[in-house]
This record gives sequence, structure tokens and C-alpha cells, in this order.
Amino acid sequence: MAVRILRRAAQMLFVVWGAATLTFFVLRLAAGDPARLVNPPGTPEEIVTQVRHRLGTDQPLLVQYKDFLVDLLHGDLGRSFHGEQSVRDAVFAALPNTLELAGVTMVIASLLALALGILAALYANRLVDRVVLVYVALAQSTPNFWFAVVLVLVFAIQHPWLPAIDKTGPESFVLPVTTLVVMLTPVLIRTVRQSFLETLGEDHVRAARARGLPERRVLLVHGLKVAALPLVTLIGLQAGFVLAGSYVVEFVFNWPGIGKLTLDAVNSRNFPMIQGGVLVAASGFVLVNFVVDVAYSFLDPRIRRGAR
Amino acid sequence: MELDHWEEELLEVAERKLERGEITRREFVRLLGVLGIAAAVPGALAGRAKAAEAAQAGSVRFLIAENFWANWEPYQNTAQSQFRINEQIYDHLVEFPTGNIGAPRPALATSWRRVDGRTWEFKLRSGVRFHNGQDFTANDVKASIELASGATKKKTVDAGLFWVPTTVKIVDDNTVRLTTKQPFGALFSALQHSHIVSAADLEGPAAALKKKPNGTGAFKLVKDEPTKKTMTRNDEYWRRPAQIAQLVWEYVQDPQTRLNALLAGQAHAIDRVPPEHLPIISRSSKLALASRTGIEMVNLWVRPGRSTLWAQNAAYRRAVNWSIDRDALVRNLVKGRSRAAQSVIPSGTLYWRAQSPKYTYNPARAKAELANGNLADGGPEFELWVAKGFLPRAVEVVEVIVDNMRKVGLKPKVRTADVAGVIDDIFSKKGTGLMYHLSWSSNGDPMTAFQVYSPAFAWYFGDKTIANLLDAGMRATNPAKRQQTYARLQAHMWKQVWHVPLYYSDFTVGHSKSLKGLRVTQNFSTNFYPARLA
Repeated sequence: MAVRILRRAAQMLFVVWGAATLTFFVLRLAAGDPARLVNPPGTPEEIVTQVRHRLGTDQPLLVQYKDFLVDLLHGDLGRSFHGEQSVRDAVFAALPNTLELAGVTMVIASLLALALGILAALYANRLVDRVVLVYVALAQSTPNFWFAVVLVLVFAIQHPWLPAIDKTGPESFVLPVTTLVVMLTPVLIRTVRQSFLETLGEDHVRAARARGLPERRVLLVHGLKVAALPLVTLIGLQAGFVLAGSYVVEFVFNWPGIGKLTLDAVNSRNFPMIQGGVLVAASGFVLVNFVVDVAYSFLDPRIRRGAR
Repeated sequence: MELDHWEEELLEVAERKLERGEITRREFVRLLGVLGIAAAVPGALAGRAKAAEAAQAGSVRFLIAENFWANWEPYQNTAQSQFRINEQIYDHLVEFPTGNIGAPRPALATSWRRVDGRTWEFKLRSGVRFHNGQDFTANDVKASIELASGATKKKTVDAGLFWVPTTVKIVDDNTVRLTTKQPFGALFSALQHSHIVSAADLEGPAAALKKKPNGTGAFKLVKDEPTKKTMTRNDEYWRRPAQIAQLVWEYVQDPQTRLNALLAGQAHAIDRVPPEHLPIISRSSKLALASRTGIEMVNLWVRPGRSTLWAQNAAYRRAVNWSIDRDALVRNLVKGRSRAAQSVIPSGTLYWRAQSPKYTYNPARAKAELANGNLADGGPEFELWVAKGFLPRAVEVVEVIVDNMRKVGLKPKVRTADVAGVIDDIFSKKGTGLMYHLSWSSNGDPMTAFQVYSPAFAWYFGDKTIANLLDAGMRATNPAKRQQTYARLQAHMWKQVWHVPLYYSDFTVGHSKSLKGLRVTQNFSTNFYPARLA
């Protein structure tokens, strides 16, 4: 087991390094000279050269990459091209906001998916199931940027019950979390429903019923324990989608998280800030998957045995 | 005398007891006497009254559309957003409250006079202090102007764009003389751009200068976050202190998010309202629009060196100009206070003059010009680049232009990219575009408006007449001579049409009606002094 965890940890570091390297080179090879973007188009070359020197983008690419890696090993993510603030400080100030948003979303989405998925499985092909599946279809086909704006128009502007933007308090979570939950739940509900349907037909559930166990115990203990396994995997995978989805949601709701920080930086080719944002998001994604992998090993004895 | 933390707490407890009637006023005073803080109470209460007043004055939040802030190092960047925020923090020798660059008003200088063709004398205001409490002196003017103008060894961006080297002689504590290296007609325009910084700060470490602006302006920076700048009122301001206690400038990229915040009452003002949002704000009983025709020229900029046909065939250039329905673009797409171009500089520029002919949509004339230029087939295919998400409705504008052009036989091919991609193509040796839909803004002085067409910039076609007239305009100090020179320049450039003038931008700020006295000018200045919250 320890070997397996160590191997996964090494893979995790490799993926993070790969993401950082890819981001570094893609940014510099894609169109957009940051030195030109801080000046109006057509600014004399001499001025642009001065700015390029100040930003360090006049160095050969490999020199810039070496400096980036050395700084990274020292925990230094560089300084923003705009304002020269520490990227590490900015990223770590934004990170808790994104994690809070993602965390609340994951919890609510998981509970909702479990409830609706089980309900749909128990009443398969009946009205409740159909209503749940209609919700799934609608939620899956609703673009989150559109849904977010509609929520704001209805619940913040038409009826000023909730804040339209910013993270101001518990009430400010409602609209962004709703947007993310609606984006996330369809696939979770489908998985729980399917998994539960399969589990309900298995021998151990039939045996539990035959032993005369109460139906609630059959469902919530014997059924759920097995049916929830795919959900754990899926939550790990979805964590990445929540991070990606939160980019759009943070943008629309002006949520001071990693997504907004990165998108703001993209527009002005603020390389260090984009790298910092992507690096942290990639690390978060990899870390969640790592935790899920480890948790899965504990939850499923077959994997533990396989690991031996 | 200031109260300690525990004394503050005791005072609060005593105040609460007095309010609830648990103690009498006499007991209150006696209690304070026993505690030994009676002497400090008037000051403390005054401080609280000040805080209460500040709370009443309130905090104003302005959501801005640009995030090209660099750092606070003076005179080292050209970003419009930086200039706009600097205006809240710093003062200049003179100011232009209406945006009219021909009408300077006293600011840190109370009066001025011309001494000779290259020298101006300025009388300085006394009793002015920087945010750090230091007095404003003639030394600060000398250090600031000489650095900004390039009269010192250090290179600055301002020097290259706005100035000729200018030395400052201190006549006495309240008088300075500015001498320009050559006759310089745009001195007041340069003074409008370059704010006054403390000489001590300029002599100190550069790192400190980059991090902490220290001006004499109405607001001082108290918190600097990547996309958010929080300022508080400068209570020692040499004019009456601002009526707003706190001013927050925050970059919010998405116009819809800015609008949502304004509609929901979470922002007091929003920047650069796009055309589709104008009717929404107009309909609201709680919101208002401050609209100006911006001093911003939107052109199809033509990259020299990419087409010999364009460089050599004036009929081809005229044909392109007769093929575009500018009025329809302004009326149906850009909207607001935008205006179809009638000169190569924006209408708010000093000495602007409407040129003739007015280029309207005239397909017959465009075809005739093509035939004149032996291009009856419309000439070769060319790339027209447009930046997404930069100028309002840019992609739609270019689609209409392309449609117009194709109707007369021209062969444009649209390339869409983000602004970084467009700029890369302009400057790359492998760039393939011929025309670019972009803008150039200035402070309203003809020198800065025309500058973009000068040999120092990428858009210069080698037209010596332009270079000579630009030089003559810069050296002309007599207003009549300046006007005459820039009139000739406009006429010449309108005839040559090296680039394709389209329209002057709309500049609209949306704001809550509770925000009174917001000063929005045509040169994109958005000044929150002396605005107030009603």
C-alpha cells in the first residue's frame, strides 16, 4: 500500500511539473507580447524594449524557463507584470475563496445527487424517475454562464434578495453555488441512479431482504455502501470540472478566487499570474484525485488486495 | 492625547451605560475622571465624530474596464487606466477640468506667464502637503518635470511620448521657470500628463516608488491589490477635502458583470458601458449615464510595408474610404456619442476641423476610384484583422465594413483574434494583415493626437510632409501658428488617407443617481473629486 501511495505521489509531482511546463511554453509561444500590451498599439519600439527588459521577457526562452523552475523550487511564483505584487501572495489569497466555493458545491451536489439518484432508482420508470431525468437533461444542456446571469437578473436585480457579485457573506454563496451545482449534478445523479439500480438487483441485497432486514437498512447500508463507490471516483474527477467551471462562475460573480485571478491575467498576458493560477489549479486537481485514489483503496478491498 | 485600547473599551462601556440610562451624565464624567481618561475624551469623541462623518460620506465603488495597471513608478507607463487613477492621487501644475486642453486652470501652480519663446514662469501654491505629510516645494516641481521630460539621465516613457527635455530653475520658494530645449507648443499638454511627485521620493529607492504612490491629490492609496485599488480621502487636501470617504477602483473584465453590479446597487459607477447596455441604464430611474464623444480615433490602420499597391495607389485608398458606411456603423452599432470621422484626429482635439469631402457610403464613387486606379476588378485580396473583446462591437463593425467593401468589388478577408494576437500580427515580421481595426486616444492636444502617425510609430508611410508638419506643430508656440499648422496637417492627411478613418468612440460611464458631481471628460478622465453621495 505504501509503495502504491508513493508511486502515485511521484506521478502527481510529474503531472504538476508537466502542467507548469506546458503552461510556461504555451503562454510564451502563443500570440501576445506583454510589453506591447501595457502600451497603446504603435508605441515606439524603444519604449516597448524598455518594458520588455523590465518584465524579463527579453531573455531567451530557456533562460526564462530555467529561472522559472529555480524560483518554483524555492516556492517563488514570481511577481505580477501589473503592479509587481507577489504572485504567491495573490494566489494564496485567492485560493481559499475558490476552495470554499468548490467545497460547498461538492457537498451540496453530492448530497443532492445521492438523494435524487436513489429516489430515481427506487421509482425507476415511474413519474419521480422521469421528473429527475428531465431535470438531468435540462441541467446538462444549460450553459452555466447563461444560467448564472439569469440567476443574477432574477434574484439580485429583479428581486434584490441576494448579492449580484462578490463574496460578501454566506448569502453570496447561493447564486454561484447553485450555478455550479446545476452544472455538476446531472452526471452524478445518472451515476448514482445507475449504480443503485444495479446494486438493488445483486445477491447481497436480496439476501439482506431475505433475512428480513428493514427496507431502510437494506437501502442505506447494504445498497448505498456499494452503490456509492462509483460516486467517490466521480467526485474526484468532477473536482477538476468544478475548478474549471468555477472559472466561469468566478468571472460572472466577480468571485475573488483563482479562476478570476487567472482570467484577468490572461487578457493582459500577465504570465507569472497565469502560471501561478494554473499551477495551483492543476495541483489541486491532482491532489483531489490522489486523495480519491487512496480513499478508494480503503473503501474497496479488491483494490487493496490487488495492490499487494 | 490618544486613548489606549483598554481606555477605548472603557469609554465604549461608559457610553453604552449612559445611553441606556444606567448612569447619569455626571456619573459618566466622574467615572472617566476616576479612570483618568477624561482629558482625552473630547479628542476621542471628535475622532469618532470624524469617523461617523466619514461613514456618512460613504464609500464609492467604481468598476473599471481596463487592467493595464503597471506599477506606481512615475512617468513609466502609458496605460490610460493608470493615468486615470493617478488623477485621483496626484496633482499637476495645471489642470483641465472640462477636458479642453486649450483651457488650463490653476492647480499646484496658481498663475503662469510666458518669459520667452522657450521659458514659462509658474507661481506655486503654498500650504500644500503630500500624503505623507511632507510640504510641497519648488524642488518637487524641478525633480518631477526634469525626470518626466527626459532632462535627466534616466529614461522615462513620458519623455518619449509627451515632452521635449525641460529644465527647471527655482527662482524662489514659490516660483519656478521651465525652459524647454526647443520651442515647444504642447507644454501644457505635457504638464497635464505628468503629475508632481515628491523630490525626496524620487531620490529614494525605486522599489518604494513603485509600491506606494505619494501625491498631493484628493485621495490616497491605502490598499493595493492586483485588480483593486482602495483609496481614502486626503483630509489635508489643499482644496476642501473630498466628500467621499473611500474610493475603490476595481477591475471587472466582463461588461455584463459590471452592469449587474450597478443594477444591484453593488457599484456606484461603471466604466465603458457597451452600446447594448445603454438603454438598460437609461430606463432605470436610479441610474444615469455620463456620455462623451471620446478623444479616441478608431481607424482601419494600414500597416506600412505590407502592400505596395496601398502605398502607391491613392485612388485605391480613396475607393476604400468611399466604400464604408460610417454613419450606419455609428448609428446602429457603436451608438452612444460616437461620431463618424471627419478628420484624421478626433473631434474633441484642439484645432480639430471637419474635412472635405466627407467620406460617406458611395459605392458608385468607390467603383469609379477603383477604375481610376486601374483596379476595376477590386484589386487583390487582403487581410483585415479585428480584436475580439477590445473595442465595443468590433467584430460586428468589421463584418459590416467587409460587407460594404465586397459590394464595390474590394476583397477583404476577416481575421479575428484577441487583442494580443492582433498586436502580434502588426509587429511580427511574419505578420500577414494589411488593415487592423484599432483605436488611438490622446489627451486632446493635436501633438499627442497626431503623434501616432509620426516616424516614431509603426504607422508611418514615409510621408515627409507629415513628419515636417508634425515637427512644425510641436515647435509652434503661437496658438494661431499652431492652429494653422495642424489645419494643414489635417488637410494633407485627409487627402492622402494613408489609414481609413472610421469614427470617434463613445465614452460612457454609467452611475447611480446618488453619486453627484462625477466629472467625466472626453479625454477619459473620470474624476471623483468633488463628487459626493446624496
